[in-house]
Amino acid sequence: MKIVMDGKEVAAERGQTIVEVARRNGVYIPTLCHVPALEPAAMCRICTVELAEGRRSRLVTACNYPLRSDAEIHTDTPLLRQNRKVLIELLASRCPGSETLRELAERYGADLNRFPAEDRQCIMCGLCARVCERVGGNVLALCGRGVEIRVDTSFGRLSPTCIACTACVQICPVNAIRFEDVDGERRVIVRGKEASRVPLRRCTSCGARFGPVIDLVPVLERAGESGVPPFNASVCPACSRRNLARRLAERHFEQHAVEPRDAGEES
Amino acid sequence: MATATSVVPDLAWTKKISSPHELADYRQALLAGMDPDAPCIRVCCGTGCKAVGSLDVLEAMKAAVAAAGVDVKVMPEVKRTGCHGFCSRGPLLTFQPQGLFYQRVTPGDAAEIIQKTAVGGELIPRLLYKPPGAKEPIAKVGDIPFFAKQTKVVLQRVGRIDPFDIRDAIAAGAYEGLAKVLSGMTPQQVIEEIKTSRLRGRGGAGFPTGIKWESCAAQPGRHYVICNGDEGDPGAFMDASVMEGDPHAVLEGMAIAAYAMGSDRGFLYVRLEYPLAVQTLAAAIRQAEDLGLIGRNIMGTDFSFRTSISTGAGAFVCGESSALMSSLEGKVGRPRAKYIRSTEKGFRDSPSNLNNVETYANVPAIILRGGPWYTSYGTERSAGTKVFSLTGNVHNVGLVEVPMGTSLREIVYGIGGGIPNKKELKAVQTGGPSGGCIPIPSKFLDINVGFGKLAEIGSMMGSGGMIVMDENTCMVEVSRYFINFLVEESCGQCTPCREGLTRMKETLTRITVGEGREGDIEMLEEIGTFTNSFSLCGLGTSAANPVLSTIKYFREEYDAHIHDKKCPAGVCKPLFYYEIDPETCTGCGLCRKRCPAAAVEGEKKKPHTIHQELCIKCMECYRSCKFDSIRIK
Ligand SMILES: Cc1cc2nc3c(=O)[nH]c(=O)nc-3n(C[C@H](O)[C@H](O)[C@H](O)COP(=O)(O)O)c2cc1C
Repeated sequence: MKIVMDGKEVAAERGQTIVEVARRNGVYIPTLCHVPALEPAAMCRICTVELAEGRRSRLVTACNYPLRSDAEIHTDTPLLRQNRKVLIELLASRCPGSETLRELAERYGADLNRFPAEDRQCIMCGLCARVCERVGGNVLALCGRGVEIRVDTSFGRLSPTCIACTACVQICPVNAIRFEDVDGERRVIVRGKEASRVPLRRCTSCGARFGPVIDLVPVLERAGESGVPPFNASVCPACSRRNLARRLAERHFEQHAVEPRDAGEES
Repeated sequence: MATATSVVPDLAWTKKISSPHELADYRQALLAGMDPDAPCIRVCCGTGCKAVGSLDVLEAMKAAVAAAGVDVKVMPEVKRTGCHGFCSRGPLLTFQPQGLFYQRVTPGDAAEIIQKTAVGGELIPRLLYKPPGAKEPIAKVGDIPFFAKQTKVVLQRVGRIDPFDIRDAIAAGAYEGLAKVLSGMTPQQVIEEIKTSRLRGRGGAGFPTGIKWESCAAQPGRHYVICNGDEGDPGAFMDASVMEGDPHAVLEGMAIAAYAMGSDRGFLYVRLEYPLAVQTLAAAIRQAEDLGLIGRNIMGTDFSFRTSISTGAGAFVCGESSALMSSLEGKVGRPRAKYIRSTEKGFRDSPSNLNNVETYANVPAIILRGGPWYTSYGTERSAGTKVFSLTGNVHNVGLVEVPMGTSLREIVYGIGGGIPNKKELKAVQTGGPSGGCIPIPSKFLDINVGFGKLAEIGSMMGSGGMIVMDENTCMVEVSRYFINFLVEESCGQCTPCREGLTRMKETLTRITVGEGREGDIEMLEEIGTFTNSFSLCGLGTSAANPVLSTIKYFREEYDAHIHDKKCPAGVCKPLFYYEIDPETCTGCGLCRKRCPAAAVEGEKKKPHTIHQELCIKCMECYRSCKFDSIRIK
């Protein structure tokens, strides 16, 4: 399989996506809704590239197009640059504060203020919903249709199934999701609106609140991954570290049978 | 108002047909019991006629026959049928065997029809159809240009049979194609026949059906055969009429497809807004199962094919193949971004063949009469016939089937009867919201309607919607209308479609209210090119077509809106006013009488004037003036 990317032949394996090949060979293709750990959704469309396979030349999204035969790919033509510019300008109007968009705008010469802003604090990449599905939570999803599409919980209510794993918080490229630990609960807040409240565990050792209480069995069931041993820590990380250190020290002294020195006795 | 309770004959106790030959015997037995010269009144109960009260007419006709019973020697049978196609003349009925055509019938006419026509053999001139401009009415269906100029393959039985009675369909030849397939054709032969016919998908993209079947059949695993009855284009009703008028053609086509691809399971995806289609299909499936024509061991052979109806909630995007399959699976109806054909991995990740209603309805005739016969209709690249729903500013609004390659002139003037109110034809919109506007009166009136030709001039065949527009159509408003439709129907997951269309709608709305700015046209072109090239599914990649095609052909109209703040067609209310031309106004006073806002003033026989501050621009005066004295300024 011979893959030519922007005029240079590159290494590629059959079935790899264009983005995978590009990343491996140091070719830049912008993406907004793609992370390697998740199934590509090709929603943002900014990774669109020109592909010629055989005689036909067409536009495909690089994040999910699997390369199966000889192909010639152009990742940065004037046509692509022009359309990416429009894409960034359009997205900027719904998420004016985004650092990612500002960087992209510089690269493609986009005018972030071309269209009047209507701040929805979201670029609709859908990563939060997809990562939530992946961890088995299915708490956040894309709700509604058309312009009104948004990330939300079922019926917009506090979710009873959220485990407050905060994967959504980590993955959101525009920092529109955050969490707060208050009053013995963890609150996941999506664009200013609470999505869930999950009680926090109390450390059996020091009594401090830490990590959310997770009923793991149904989560693992939903994720379809049986056999993963449930962790159910009952001590907080700090106590856990302290306990471990104490145990290590005790074992060390036992093994080497070093008599603790008496204070005051000089050798 | 009569309810939709049509008696569905229960055939559960009938002996199942146990071999393909037995179907022919069954048909002969049915035909023997029917007298072809027996009087029969076919009352159109398609959705269009139903809306204007045809069910009441049906009941009234039945009652009138029953009441007249004693003095008629041979009582006419009153039959409920699907759409006759001539929707603008409904409620309508035909009188067999003479083939008389009565239109705009009311329940009050029933007794008279029976007394005069059935018993007395006289015509009722009031109910006859008179073509625009003609002096004499036409009595017979075959003499009416609207019907005479059509070629019916798909609609062959629609409007003739009772869609709720399978025996009527069988007597007219239904399931003969399936019997032929089951009595000796191999799946490969079936596929070859379809390939020979050069049948192309009627759902929009025009993909060659035989090739699709072949590639699906070649895949391993369980195969599914799915029928796309979503029909979401505004102004389109071809598929509805086929499902409502001859559901068996669709079922038979699906069964033949299933046989060719080794499938045993089918789905009909029909929108819930088509309640009549759902009823007829459900009745058809039940009756066909009762007779052993669908279901397990069809006609006593090893071939089994079960099919059921799934109703969609009427989202336009659910007509797109991957969204349709998601919806069938019970998921959100959003298109999937996968570079894999559904013939390989579709419904439940299995090889699935999706075809349009009309595509399947073509199949039985092709099998029965052969691929070469089918290619005798149409053109080199587009074989066969195509059903169009002809709507808009045309005399004969309705359902029209013509060979591919028929000229627009023939469709709009020959069959459609031309433009009402002595208006000029301005454009024809084809292909629904993904299509484009073809400007007329330039050279395009004589183009041959086919897949290739329409694409060449910036429109497309689409599923067969055809909207005729006269001189009082504002092309900016037309593109605003379609973009607005698509903004509401977009699934919203991909950036170009969601954001791009929204911006285009905003811009177009601004232009139509007189707030257009320098650079708007260029911006529309820029965003339109972007959405057309970067969107995820077919909705987005064709959404800008109505805008781009109107800019291409009617740019001066956009300019007039933006620069002169004028709507030359007199549609965008803030951008025009009416004025009475004192030279030609005779002072007849008609406009003054018609004006609902009392904005017209004037003495009899003297030129009238319009008070602009009172005028609500309803167009009533403009339409009623016999002397063309009202001007759009
Ligand atoms: C937005 C969109 C809407 C569609 N709607 C319909 C529809 O209502 N009916 C239909 O038959 N095909 C529709 N299609 C086309 C289908 O995706 C598909 O091409 C077709 O059903 C295949 O059948 P065919 O080969 O018989 O034409 C639509 C496509 C798109 C992109």
